[in-house]
Amino acid sequence: MDILESVKMASKTLLANKLRSTLTMLGIIIGNASVIAMVGIGEGAQRFVSGQFESLGTNVLFIVPGNRDAQRTTVDLPRTLVLEDAEAIATQVPTVAAVAPQLHSRELVTYRNRNTYSLMVGTNPDFSIVRSFDTERGRFITDLDVKRNNQVVTLGVDLAERLFGNQDPIGQQIRIRNVSFLVIGVMEAKGSVLGTNYDDSAYIPITTMASRIIGKNSPYGVNLTFISVSAQNEASVDAAQFQITNLLRLRHKITREDDFSVESQKDVLEIAGTVTGALTIMLAAIAGISLLVGGIGVMNIMLVSVTERTQEIGLRKAIGATQDDVLIQFLIEAVILSAAGGLLGTALGVGGVLLIGAFTPFQAGVSPIAIALAVGVSGGIGIIFGVVPARRAAQLDPIVALRSA
Amino acid sequence: MEHYSSHSPIGIAQRDDDAVATTIVRLENVFKIYGAGETEVQALADVSLTVEQGEYCAIMGASGSGKSTAMNIIGCLDRPTKGHYYLDGVDVANLNDTELAHIRNRKIGFVFQQFHLLPQSTALENVMLPMVYAGISTSERRDRATEALQRVGLGNRLNNQPNQLSGGQQQRVAIARAIVNQPVLLLADEPTGALDSKTTQEVLEIFGELNASGITIVMVTHEPDVARKTQRIVWFKDGQVIHSHLTPSDINRVATS
Ligand SMILES: Nc1ncnc2c1ncn2[C@@H]1O[C@H](COP(=O)(O)OP(=O)(O)OP(=O)(O)O)[C@@H](O)[C@H]1O
Ligand SMILES: [Mg+2]
Repeated sequence: MDILESVKMASKTLLANKLRSTLTMLGIIIGNASVIAMVGIGEGAQRFVSGQFESLGTNVLFIVPGNRDAQRTTVDLPRTLVLEDAEAIATQVPTVAAVAPQLHSRELVTYRNRNTYSLMVGTNPDFSIVRSFDTERGRFITDLDVKRNNQVVTLGVDLAERLFGNQDPIGQQIRIRNVSFLVIGVMEAKGSVLGTNYDDSAYIPITTMASRIIGKNSPYGVNLTFISVSAQNEASVDAAQFQITNLLRLRHKITREDDFSVESQKDVLEIAGTVTGALTIMLAAIAGISLLVGGIGVMNIMLVSVTERTQEIGLRKAIGATQDDVLIQFLIEAVILSAAGGLLGTALGVGGVLLIGAFTPFQAGVSPIAIALAVGVSGGIGIIFGVVPARRAAQLDPIVALRSA
Repeated sequence: MEHYSSHSPIGIAQRDDDAVATTIVRLENVFKIYGAGETEVQALADVSLTVEQGEYCAIMGASGSGKSTAMNIIGCLDRPTKGHYYLDGVDVANLNDTELAHIRNRKIGFVFQQFHLLPQSTALENVMLPMVYAGISTSERRDRATEALQRVGLGNRLNNQPNQLSGGQQQRVAIARAIVNQPVLLLADEPTGALDSKTTQEVLEIFGELNASGITIVMVTHEPDVARKTQRIVWFKDGQVIHSHLTPSDINRVATS
């Protein structure tokens, strides 16, 4: 008996029991839909995160205080990165194009009767270059502002809107922690990057930030939250990373572990990549388990089917079906169930992925590999979980089977 | 594998050597023992029996006397524990399961008490089924199945499902299925056991016609009226053949003894 004949026979049986076939497929359908959707979401998250890092600016290096490998928890260490470090990098590292020291603090901002807590970023003019982040109106802080501790502020677009509404903020006075500042510009819209909304922040000279807002300095100088640096070009990123590390080791008189780390965008992307990669794998594993459960469902129903159709099997054998004929017939039934379930589930998963893409910032991807894998795996599941019932059917003794009325 | 394909493709059991009587079934000192030790049952104890080509033969005997066991062995659904069985000259003991399946497919037709039709298939599809396993093309299957159904008087019921047919009609579909591969031997285990007297007559008429056309028939029955329609009666008792060539007129005498 050829395969086509077996397929016809199996389809006929499955169609005769539509409800049961559908319910059996349901497990596989759900399994596949979740594999496709989960992997899609995982990939979407990965793409989202790397998109975020790319929007931080090109050729960017971050110098952060402390050591990311060795979390020392015993003492609250003094911040190790100071303004002089940033100045030294700017003057002594040739591969660096711009250096923006950053000192962050969340402060109460007031304009007349409106007030709000927002992120204050104390920095210098290079910030705008490093982050490729420009003003929309007015101007950004200048070297002169930094030098003179000027009480001037450039507002993020959302913050400006919240404080001033439709009114032009430029030339107005606002109060930050009760210190009066002159608004000199409004930034262009940048959006949220890695949880920090740069549109809801305000930018003031780092010197003013240190002396008027934070108010306390270590004996070593102005402590920084971190330093953003842009290398001259993509090729010089590694050299800049190396030179900055050496310079800071010298300046900090490091003999053992570094008390800072220099992270390139690539490093950060890699960390994020491993995190989202792990997320994808975890989601896929959960989905895979549901596929497995679907397979067990197929086996369960096939076993029931063999028991119910004992007489049919006996009859088929009596009129000349070989063990292989019966085995193949039942295997094909299982494979059709799971492969059809696989296809339907994949369609459902793709639909879900497209919906997620339409309604969330996660541009979830439909991965052809995931589709091929899911359909292949479901077919395989049909074979694996179909073998036990099919063998049971094939090995039935026709005499016993025919008698089982 | 093709050593048993000697029968003619056109007629049923028309053989080249018609003139010489051919032995279709030859059981030689066959034993069938179920279980072991304390629970051992000798379903067949030293049965020797031959059925010649063209015979129409009934097997009778008390319940549990081994009739079905003998039929199963004759039908190659089972193997003897001991002894030899030659079907159409072939020693069945030496064949494996797949070869036995082929023998059942091409040389034997079964008719059962409970019809055993596939409920979701039409009469035509049920009759086509043995030819599916014989690897016959779809168009030929259809032609031959139609022909077989016409032969049992169901030419107008091709596309009815079993539940749309009476018991007698269902059994006739089963008979059509049994003869469609042109077997050398038609085996029927209590074919009228589930039928009333009228439909029993229909079925027996068909058996008579089939036998007249040359098919060898062996039928198990409990009903003397059914057995009387055959030419020869084999009587089983306690797993043994106690009479192998009774005539229909001998029945009353044996049945009461
Ligand atoms: N699979 C089996 N295992 C054990 N004993 C069996 C088995 N099949 C049949 N027997 C026994 O073998 C004996 C013969 O059984 P068989 O079915 O051949 O009788 P029968 O003549 O067909 O009876 P009936 O007229 O009731 O159909 C019985 O004693 C039965 O219990
Ligand atoms: Mg019996």
